[in-house]
Amino acid sequence: MTSPSASSRKASLSKIASNRLQKELVEWQVNPPTGFKHKVTDNLQRWVIEVNGAPGTLYAGETYQLQVDFPEHYPMEAPQVIFIPPAPLHPHIYSNGHICLDILYDSWSPAMTVSSVCISILSMLSSSTEKQCPADNDRYVKNCRNGRSPKETRWWFHDDKV
Amino acid sequence: MSPTVAASTAKQAEQLRIDGNSYFKKNRFAAAIDAYTEAITLCPNVPIYWTNRALCHRKRNDWTRVEEDCRRAIQLDHNSVKAHYMLGLALLQREEYTEGAKELEKALDLGRSENPKGYMVEEIWKELARARYLLWEQESTSRSWDLQNLKETCEAALKEKHFLDASLVEGFEDENTQSNLEQLEALRRVFNKASEDDIPTEVPDYLCCKITLDIFRDPVITPSGVTYERAVILDHLRKVGNFDPVSREPLYSSQLVPNLAIKEAVRAFLETHGWAYKTD
Repeated sequence: MTSPSASSRKASLSKIASNRLQKELVEWQVNPPTGFKHKVTDNLQRWVIEVNGAPGTLYAGETYQLQVDFPEHYPMEAPQVIFIPPAPLHPHIYSNGHICLDILYDSWSPAMTVSSVCISILSMLSSSTEKQCPADNDRYVKNCRNGRSPKETRWWFHDDKV
Repeated sequence: MSPTVAASTAKQAEQLRIDGNSYFKKNRFAAAIDAYTEAITLCPNVPIYWTNRALCHRKRNDWTRVEEDCRRAIQLDHNSVKAHYMLGLALLQREEYTEGAKELEKALDLGRSENPKGYMVEEIWKELARARYLLWEQESTSRSWDLQNLKETCEAALKEKHFLDASLVEGFEDENTQSNLEQLEALRRVFNKASEDDIPTEVPDYLCCKITLDIFRDPVITPSGVTYERAVILDHLRKVGNFDPVSREPLYSSQLVPNLAIKEAVRAFLETHGWAYKTD
């Protein structure tokens, strides 16, 4: 499914960005990260990825969907990564799908790839000891009602144990 | 010529160059050529007059004249990026791919030392990659043709030998056939191996930048020992922050050092794997 409204709203990918995404896509097809499945579309700028909870964790047997949107100057800017609701119940994942994970915002590095981001998200899920949404979930989600991107949030990162 | 006359001649020529430049900007190439020609008549030793005129000839697809003017400019200034660049293009037009690529490489090296992030560098690289790829296409086609012929000849010879052996030595047919099949199989492996380099695959990771995921052009190494594409790591330091993207150690542009070993390795790889010049 393509969504022309989403792509026309944003600036298209720079030469460097589309070049790199093409290479990432090829690499993903040859060597996908375990537990993830890229849903094939013709839209290089938005990837939808299926995540399977790792066996032996609270999320085993559950399937979620990640939506990854790439900015014009990727990888100099982080991609926007959210869960398409229903999002997993997790202390760092808001019910609107926004993820509180430092590498997606302040700690982004252009040496990271979609694949390495996915692995970080899965490891965040796997290390969770309780299925609970963040303490400030309702307040946060209400603040985001105008369709705000998580990249505009001023994140205050929780402990990194979970 | 007295010094004052010389000075006024030079001044006149300079004015003609400025006139030529403004004609050029208005796409009036014939008028620009006339102005530069006059400047050249007055002061034939100024390389820029020649390269500017060459650029006009280039716009008019007059490649013979581009070549002439660039050669004169190079005689006057061995380090003229534009002269080497346009000479390279002119040679490619004449399908002198090897010589043309050589000129483009020279222009690229000179351009990088002048301004590593300049638009010229990117433009020259694109032309060079295109030329090298074309060259590879031609050469690999003829190589694979030669190999195919040689392989067929060898196979025929082996089969013939098998036939002869069978007629000479009776009673060992099975053994004979078996060894012949093995020889044919070995021959197939040898020829596959020989054509391996010409089959486009993936460039090894160690020759690719961790940010662009593309083969290095101008690799630089950080104090953490990680190598990046120069233009891209500079971009990162400016836009994202002063840290090494892989090690996350603090990093400043003054700490970047050319990685000559990787550059040499890339050159050697491209020498035998011309397909890697393909730009989408």
